[in-house]
Amino acid sequence: MSTYAVHKVCWLVHHDPEFRERMRQDPATAIADFRLTDEEQTALLAGDVGSLALMGAHGYLLGFLQRYRLLGLDRDRYLEHMRPAKLRARSE
Amino acid sequence: MARIVAGLGLPHSPGYPALVAREGPTSETAQLYQEVARRLDAARPDLMVVFDSDHLNTFSLNPLPTLCIGVTNQTAGPNDGTPGVPQYIVPVAEEAATDLLRFGLQAGFDFATTYEFTLDHSIMVPLHFVRPQMDIPIVPIFINGIVPPIPLAQRCHALGQIVRQAVETLPGDLSVAILASGDFSNDVGGMLAPLDEYSGSPDVAWAQHVVDLMRAGTVNQLVRAATTPRMARAGNVAGELLNWIAMLGAIGDQRPEFLEPQADEGHAYGFWYLDGGRHR
Repeated sequence: MSTYAVHKVCWLVHHDPEFRERMRQDPATAIADFRLTDEEQTALLAGDVGSLALMGAHGYLLGFLQRYRLLGLDRDRYLEHMRPAKLRARSE
Repeated sequence: MARIVAGLGLPHSPGYPALVAREGPTSETAQLYQEVARRLDAARPDLMVVFDSDHLNTFSLNPLPTLCIGVTNQTAGPNDGTPGVPQYIVPVAEEAATDLLRFGLQAGFDFATTYEFTLDHSIMVPLHFVRPQMDIPIVPIFINGIVPPIPLAQRCHALGQIVRQAVETLPGDLSVAILASGDFSNDVGGMLAPLDEYSGSPDVAWAQHVVDLMRAGTVNQLVRAATTPRMARAGNVAGELLNWIAMLGAIGDQRPEFLEPQADEGHAYGFWYLDGGRHR
């Protein structure tokens, strides 16, 4: 159940300006101490919110990453990354 | 003896205050909130129990309460910068909140308690539209309808029934309204949102079915239909329906006096008068 760690990163981005700034400057170091799986860590650093959603992360929380334009995300990039997950959800 | 005089249910879309500020009081959204506001005004409640799902602005993820009562004398909000909503001070009915907490625990509802908290858009948007005077003390009851695992509809319905019993033990001749906040089908930032949209209603048919069951006053049927997987298919915040189910548990199997869906938005605006309350 490490979805919690992904959620925690997203929650801190929204609620902790100092952490948000570290995510902006050096995301790999900022998330190094969280109990993320390797897959989650890779997806997170790639801004791959679609994979994170498929792994169980909540879109409302992931959305903070695009709101603060972190990990290469803005609203359009966020939707692009989410699109494969959306297509998969529709095919199931 | 205190008694419940009204139930109401409202959406809390954070974009609505700015939308209504742009489009004015004749816009559809403004009119729908106004339909509920004037009925609430006529019901003249002395306090209002609010069933709400915090969007992780009142609480963090750790700990994340499944059921929680807010106990204090006043709070404030919005705490999440909702566009178009001023900062309000909101009175809280501290003694009633304490009584509800104690009654609930005695009845087997193991509430968490928060004594210091602020409110996010999920309570402030409805209050902003239907009671901007902020002159009705509230008792906020937070139900986690957003971050899985979420509680069962049956349990939330029973919670509402317990709140009704608790209200009826409150001292004084209080009139109580029950407010539910939330959507029936909505996905925010997730994979069930419309393909090219950030958020939206993925399951308009479910939202309409919910409205139909509410309109018929068949709450038990709604409770049975609202399984956890069914709500999950309706979007990642569709568990907000639990707030409405708790409200319906408190007011009983009654037909609404007013219930109007915004079908494409996956939600509705509703008002229920109760026997003993003031009728139109």
